Amino acid sequence: MIAALLQEAQAAAAPQAAAAHFAGSLSSYLLVSGALFLAGVATILVRRNALYVLMGVELILNAANLNFVAFARFGGYGLDGQMFALFVIILAAAEAAIALAIVLRIFHDFGSIDITRTDSLRD
Amino acid sequence: MLDFMFVVFAGLAVFGALALFAHPSIVHGVFGLVAALLGVAGLYWTLGADFLGATQLLLYVGGVTVLLLFAVMLSTRDSQRIAFGRYLIGALLIGLLGAQLVHAAKGVMSVLAETGAPLVADPPPTTPEIGAAFLDRNRYLLPFEAISVLLLVVLVGAVTLVRRGPEGGR
Repeated sequence: MIAALLQEAQAAAAPQAAAAHFAGSLSSYLLVSGALFLAGVATILVRRNALYVLMGVELILNAANLNFVAFARFGGYGLDGQMFALFVIILAAAEAAIALAIVLRIFHDFGSIDITRTDSLRD
Repeated sequence: MLDFMFVVFAGLAVFGALALFAHPSIVHGVFGLVAALLGVAGLYWTLGADFLGATQLLLYVGGVTVLLLFAVMLSTRDSQRIAFGRYLIGALLIGLLGAQLVHAAKGVMSVLAETGAPLVADPPPTTPEIGAAFLDRNRYLLPFEAISVLLLVVLVGAVTLVRRGPEGGR
């Protein structure tokens, strides 16, 4: 299915001379990034375990990063895309550390990390 | 050669992401995430971003996944099978979103084809330039220092969150 989408997008970008090569065209990177993003969203939507939600967020951040770097490379924007991606990576690491600490705390207090059961604010 | 590398790394990334989504065991899911992050690091290298790829390898594949594995071992007991109805709703939404994404990508590609953005051939190593940009007062020095403070706050905050009190309770 991915290959079919790839061919479709490359056909749409037919005026580009480099479209015949995977690594030489922006659309192939956009498609990989889109697939990662969709898998991340699907993981967040379908799972109820807080750790899966975290991992889905990591996937989405990686998809966005890939877009930053690919657009900077093919748009000729120099290093700025890579710098932004670096900051995103650092912030994602910080977010993961804090979120995992919160998950452990929730497990300690609720006995479960099912995100539908941590509803004591509702009472 | 670059095309071959792209196919390998893109396949690794997509396969890992799908494994994280669909595999019933959470430990296998974490290893799927590791595969996906490795694939993204490889894609950075094919884009000429060598320093970024190395950072991804060190911070994500080395650091975040170890944290995740520890959290899995400390907190998850049950199997993670998904009810079929949730799968169905998720698949429906993903289909809609995917169609929208492909449509948007087509639009972006047509705009780029019109403007004819140039492709830079064989970019040089980026590490010296990134180091200079981080320490340049007019570019990224302030965010760099802010990140340092943020990391200190995160360090203290994480320890405070998981610490047991002196009475042994919370």
